[in-house]
Amino acid sequence: MSFIVRQIALKSDGGEIVRSNTVAETSITVGRNSENAVHLADLAVDPVHARLTLESDGRISVTSESGLKFELDGRSVSSGMIDPAKGGELGFGGHLITVAREADVAEPVLTVRRVDAVSDSAEDKDLGAVYTLKGLLPGKRISAWGFLLLVLAACLAWPIYTWSQYKDVKERPAGFHADTMWTSGKLSLAHKSLENDCQSCHVEPFVAVTDESCMTCHKDDAHDHAPKDRILNARAAPTGFAKFQRDVATQFNRPAGRCVECHTEHEGAGAMQPTQQRFCTECHDGLDTRLTDTKIANAADFGTDHPQFNPMIMVNPAGPDGKPVFRRVSLDSNPKEINGLKFPHDVHLSQTNGVAQMGRRLGARYGFGASLDCANCHKEDPSGVWFEPVDMEESCQMCHSLSLERVGNTVRTLRHGEPQLVKADLIAYYRSTPPTRPINLGGMSRRRPGEANAQRTAADYARAVRFRPSRADEAIRAVFSEGGACYDCHAVTGGQGGSLNFGIQPVAQTSRYLHKGWFSHEPHAKEECSTCHAAKSSDQATDLLIPGIKVCRDCHVGEGGASLFSITKPVESTCAMCHEYHADGGEPWVAREKDKPKKGSSRAKTVALLERRP
Amino acid sequence: MASKAAPERKATKGRERMSRHDGFLSHKGFRWLWIATILSIACIVSYLMIDVQPRHNGGSWYGYVLGTIGALLILWLTMLGVRKRAITPGRWSLKAWTSAHVYLGLSLIVIGTLHTGFQLGWNVHTLAWALMLLVIISGMFGIYFYAALPRSLSANRYDEAGAITEKQMIEQLRSLDRQLHDAAQPLRAEEAGMVQDSLEQDPFAGNFINRITGAYPGCATRKSIAALRRQRAYLPKLADDPLDKVDALLTRKEGTLGKLRRHLRLKTLLQVWLYVHVPMTFALLAALSAHIVSVFFYW
Repeated sequence: MSFIVRQIALKSDGGEIVRSNTVAETSITVGRNSENAVHLADLAVDPVHARLTLESDGRISVTSESGLKFELDGRSVSSGMIDPAKGGELGFGGHLITVAREADVAEPVLTVRRVDAVSDSAEDKDLGAVYTLKGLLPGKRISAWGFLLLVLAACLAWPIYTWSQYKDVKERPAGFHADTMWTSGKLSLAHKSLENDCQSCHVEPFVAVTDESCMTCHKDDAHDHAPKDRILNARAAPTGFAKFQRDVATQFNRPAGRCVECHTEHEGAGAMQPTQQRFCTECHDGLDTRLTDTKIANAADFGTDHPQFNPMIMVNPAGPDGKPVFRRVSLDSNPKEINGLKFPHDVHLSQTNGVAQMGRRLGARYGFGASLDCANCHKEDPSGVWFEPVDMEESCQMCHSLSLERVGNTVRTLRHGEPQLVKADLIAYYRSTPPTRPINLGGMSRRRPGEANAQRTAADYARAVRFRPSRADEAIRAVFSEGGACYDCHAVTGGQGGSLNFGIQPVAQTSRYLHKGWFSHEPHAKEECSTCHAAKSSDQATDLLIPGIKVCRDCHVGEGGASLFSITKPVESTCAMCHEYHADGGEPWVAREKDKPKKGSSRAKTVALLERRP
Repeated sequence: MASKAAPERKATKGRERMSRHDGFLSHKGFRWLWIATILSIACIVSYLMIDVQPRHNGGSWYGYVLGTIGALLILWLTMLGVRKRAITPGRWSLKAWTSAHVYLGLSLIVIGTLHTGFQLGWNVHTLAWALMLLVIISGMFGIYFYAALPRSLSANRYDEAGAITEKQMIEQLRSLDRQLHDAAQPLRAEEAGMVQDSLEQDPFAGNFINRITGAYPGCATRKSIAALRRQRAYLPKLADDPLDKVDALLTRKEGTLGKLRRHLRLKTLLQVWLYVHVPMTFALLAALSAHIVSVFFYW
């Protein structure tokens, strides 16, 4: 009874070396030790791993000697039986032992073969791959195409799909719309509500934004600047690089003259960018050479080439129809304004005269300082743009008192603005009040001795009482004449030849002088009034205190910083800072001002006042 | 008449020949560095000189000019991938092409950023710009690695016996593993198991983090060494202990593995930037297309 053990080793060329050995024992061991009949040089095998015993029935029992398991026909077991006639396979570590009985030999044959490499490193390594990142990172090719498709899908296909979904929809619903990722910047505050609705302006693909889109909302306020044919004539044809730019734009389907050319959008949240100067000067620079009949002076740049202001000034506070008469006059002609008032600014702003002293005395009650200043009479409009008309009762009457008499604790005053009522009040006053009663009338006090004196006093008083009402005429004449309450400030009419037909010349105040441009006081609030208005040296109410362009140019320069002299802190000023293209009646920096409800506000009143144009 | 000028060579002495290696960075005396610098300065100066109203943006005529230059440049830079696969003769050597790729690519930072007019936001346009920067920055890492690492790579491959190739590195390990396998035969099952752990571990195992950091906390060889030494610490030293040999072999294997892993780390650095550079280039091409189409779509 014995086994045949065949050890098979591999040659480097792949051929096999077979060493056969007959072991004449009925029971042999398998293990790593060389004493074993089946010696497996395998570290995964125990020194004495298992025992193979040839049973009497020809079968072979396999039992673990070390307690470690082994594989029998692929199953991990501690013991088992193999019938060599049927064959079987034992696995120990990296070795396989095939048990079989061969035709021409009696003994069972154990064929030992190493199937696993000695170590992992001994296995085949793909030299082209093991030293790379293959398998450790997603491949470059796959991720390149992946990212390409991802970005195309998310940033191109999706927005176009969104666009197609709302092509004919008037207003898109709220929520995220993919094409908003195409925005090139925030919209201005005025258009903020359209931020999520690209299609409100970008209607047709590959067609530049048309005026039609703008006019959907702006049909009421985007007036034409001038008749179309005049605009076309006024516009200078572009030359040089501008012409090249125009040609390229035309090639790329961007027609000239659209709203958006001046009103650029997507420039960031905030006020819309002011229109560039060039859009104005294309026409207004050298306008008279193209529009020969124009009355508008040429203007190219506020700093260097702009005409003197022509304010609308009042030449008569009451014209033939009773309304004030205005006329546009250049400030260069040193115009005078006639508003019907007598008001020397210098006297009122003096720091040393009686006015200042009176102001100091009334200061605690009315908030005056050491002397009067502009703000004591001129109150800012709530918008800060301009000033409210000066109100006599509020701003003059604390000094220029119209008090008539005191009844108990109440002071009766003459009615301002109603000369006929003033006269009537004076007549009524003298009719209804007795003259002051002499203290020596009647009684014994202060009486001079003698009956005659008592009678004289009584007779004098009786005469005074009788003639009391006629004293009114005198008072009326006094109040309307030099030194009287009315005469101080107003031009008085009538009263010739002792007549009492006194009247007051109408007074009007101009609330806006510069009608072709806009000026707001608000951004100039840090400046002293006297920086621009020469009120302290004005001794006549007819002095026009509107500053000329020279004063503005102390700070304001053209769009590109051009100026006639050097300025330390220049303020770059485009045309649009003061001028408004569409002439909708609002300030150039506020869109659709007149469309906003301002009921009852002082602005509404002032605008109404403004509309009293000649 | 002298014949055609020979390629530039240093003075020679006897039979010794010297020729200077001219890398893609210093190609032709930094020709493309100069061109790219001049291009960038020209862009910056014109950006400052040209008064675009109301402010610089990609939609002004100047913005369109920069955008067109930038887009064409991006397309051309992308073509390096095609060019390097096409072995062609001619004046435009691949080295010149690479040199131009590097320096013109860097100048794209200036061109692309000026094109934005510094108006950035959460939109497809800024996405294209950001991807462009990502590609350029990954490229800058690539240049740095290419300039700095090959020296370390060579140094790592040298030892007392000279340089070894990647194939030899594996062969060294295989040899050590065979020796270990033999030396461990007399060991008891437990100790043999430890050695077996070392043998069975793939020397190239490890994820991307292991590769790029060079840190392999799960190294079976090191664990085996530690475990064997721990076990032997209190055992008497025998004259002919097979564990001595195993220990020496494991230590040698650890050294060889360390060299291999340093090599892998350097090679990873040399390759990894391309895993950003190339996919991001394609993402950039897509974003650039979306950027251009969107501008004309909502014209």
